[in-house]
Amino acid sequence: MTLLRKLSVWVAYLAALLLLPQLFDSILAISVFNQMAIAIVFALSYNMLLGQGGMLSFGHAVYFGMGGFLAVHALLMLETETAHFSIIWIPLIGGLFGLLAAIFIGSFSTRKAGTVFAMISLGIGELIAASSLIFVDFFGGEAGISGDRTYGPTFFGIDFAQNVEVYYLASGWVFISTVFMYLFIQTPVGRMANAVRDNPVRAEFIGYSARHVRFISFCASGLFAGIAGGLFALNYEFITEENLNAATSGRVLLMAYIGGLGYFIGPIIGAVLLTLMNSLLSNYTELWMLYLGILFLLTVMFLPRGFAGFIMMHQLAWVRGKLRDLVVPYLMTGIPAVIFMLSLIALIELVHAEEASLHIYGLTLDPAAAGTWIALLLIATAALFGTRRSLPQLRAAWDTANHIPDEER
Amino acid sequence: MAILSLKNVHKSFGNTQIIRGVSLDIEQGEKHAIIGPNGAGKSTLYHLISGLYRVTSGTIELRQQPIHNRAPYEISRLGLARSFQVTNIFPRLNVFENVRCALLWSHGFRYSFWHLLGRQGELNDSAMHVLDQIGLKDKARYPAGELAYAQQRALELGIAIASGAEVIMLDEPVAGMSHSEAENAVQLIRRITEGKTLIMVEHDMNIVFDVADRITVLVYGEVIASDVPAAIRGNPKVQEAYLGEVATSA
Repeated sequence: MTLLRKLSVWVAYLAALLLLPQLFDSILAISVFNQMAIAIVFALSYNMLLGQGGMLSFGHAVYFGMGGFLAVHALLMLETETAHFSIIWIPLIGGLFGLLAAIFIGSFSTRKAGTVFAMISLGIGELIAASSLIFVDFFGGEAGISGDRTYGPTFFGIDFAQNVEVYYLASGWVFISTVFMYLFIQTPVGRMANAVRDNPVRAEFIGYSARHVRFISFCASGLFAGIAGGLFALNYEFITEENLNAATSGRVLLMAYIGGLGYFIGPIIGAVLLTLMNSLLSNYTELWMLYLGILFLLTVMFLPRGFAGFIMMHQLAWVRGKLRDLVVPYLMTGIPAVIFMLSLIALIELVHAEEASLHIYGLTLDPAAAGTWIALLLIATAALFGTRRSLPQLRAAWDTANHIPDEER
Repeated sequence: MAILSLKNVHKSFGNTQIIRGVSLDIEQGEKHAIIGPNGAGKSTLYHLISGLYRVTSGTIELRQQPIHNRAPYEISRLGLARSFQVTNIFPRLNVFENVRCALLWSHGFRYSFWHLLGRQGELNDSAMHVLDQIGLKDKARYPAGELAYAQQRALELGIAIASGAEVIMLDEPVAGMSHSEAENAVQLIRRITEGKTLIMVEHDMNIVFDVADRITVLVYGEVIASDVPAAIRGNPKVQEAYLGEVATSA
């Protein structure tokens, strides 16, 4: 039964991956899905470090970028016909190079977790980013390097000229990578990674070197980050220094964290969410990075276990059939909270507005008129007041829904 | 034949000597208690034997094999397990996983990433058996960090004994427990260390004299006596240094 249930989750995951382009088939949608696919593998690989292994890395983009660079070089080799293989294997080449880089760097960086590991990862990240501008032959300097994915033998007649063809290839790799990363947690060394994360000293006294356990997780994580880098190379057909620098490392941290580190599905949620913000929100506002920052802050402060953790919080109420009792209190608090945030966003956009009028939520606001500001401030204040007033009821409803009567304990 | 043998072990932190020439032989199957006032170096001695600290000088042998200055995981693999004074478990893993992790090495899984834990029937049965022994079978799926204190102490014991180590070192196993909890814990310790070598640091003298075959008294990093309980009770030096202090403070 549980096996069947688990299997059905995986089938649903695969179906979702394969059906997405059927539901949304615009060029924009396919490009967003490709970004999502890359981000999912990258964020899951990051979670192997931080969520599963307790290693906070500020330089995970190194393995992503290294994989990506080698993947583009592989494309170039196909182009010059120094090699001959189907491009479906490009992500694997990226993965193997990510693994190689991780073996080398992990051999000294996994000695300790915590601050030492974080600092080394930051240092290595800067080092590689800097040297990418020095070793121009391999990294291509500031312009990066570019290839063409249509060379090499076709795969059952597919030459991957279309983005949607790349998407199906990517979703295959996403699925395989997800399965293997999930299985890794169920292996002895995968479970010991959790134990070392929880208590490295104790792990040593049950026969395991915390360092060796970390090293193996680190290498596995590098492998999958490299696969993600290979997917990136296939999708964009170019790669630059930007793809292995600190900004990219920071983005994957945000994805994993906002999604929820403690849950396997967390980074997937985070990857989807941030890709959507990145590609859709940026069409509407120049300030989307600010909103991303605010989202991250709010997550750290109020949802320390991320979106996945927030969803899982409702498990008990769900099992006990009390979820319905929460709907009204959630609306009572949620509606004013949303109004508060929307009016705050309007205020921020108003500050930022350069033209004589700001178009937002179908309204046209005049940044020069005092009335606009006063009205928005009043709405924001009222909404904040409403949120705070309704919060105790929500809390009470929450406690009731999650209360287990003594006779059931 | 001594299973664990310390010869002239010294440990200094900077200029401060904590362990000053401890020599000690512990026989196979013995229940050995180490007692001494606070700051005597009992915990330091434990850390030296189990590999957490390096010795400054001297040797420690387990079955005639030198183990001093080796990594804790190597010593653990040779069959020496220990518990900790402060509860030292894997708080975010569930109770079952805690014990199963402690079993992995002795079941030969090493650093495998090609076995699936769910399919290892024998391993999972052993883990359940240990849970049964420590009375936590019905808490198997509980996050270990959310157990009650006495249950965490039982789990701590379970992790220590799971690997089937020949030598088991317990550091104040009943500290902080109520009287009845302590009584249960002592019974548990007796049961699970049956036929094994037990070394125990404990402050509760009733338990020490109840459980131990031999007692070593450590004062300021030196062994002032090591003998059977009756002889320790009658030893004037011990009474002066330790039991007297307990008697007057009680």
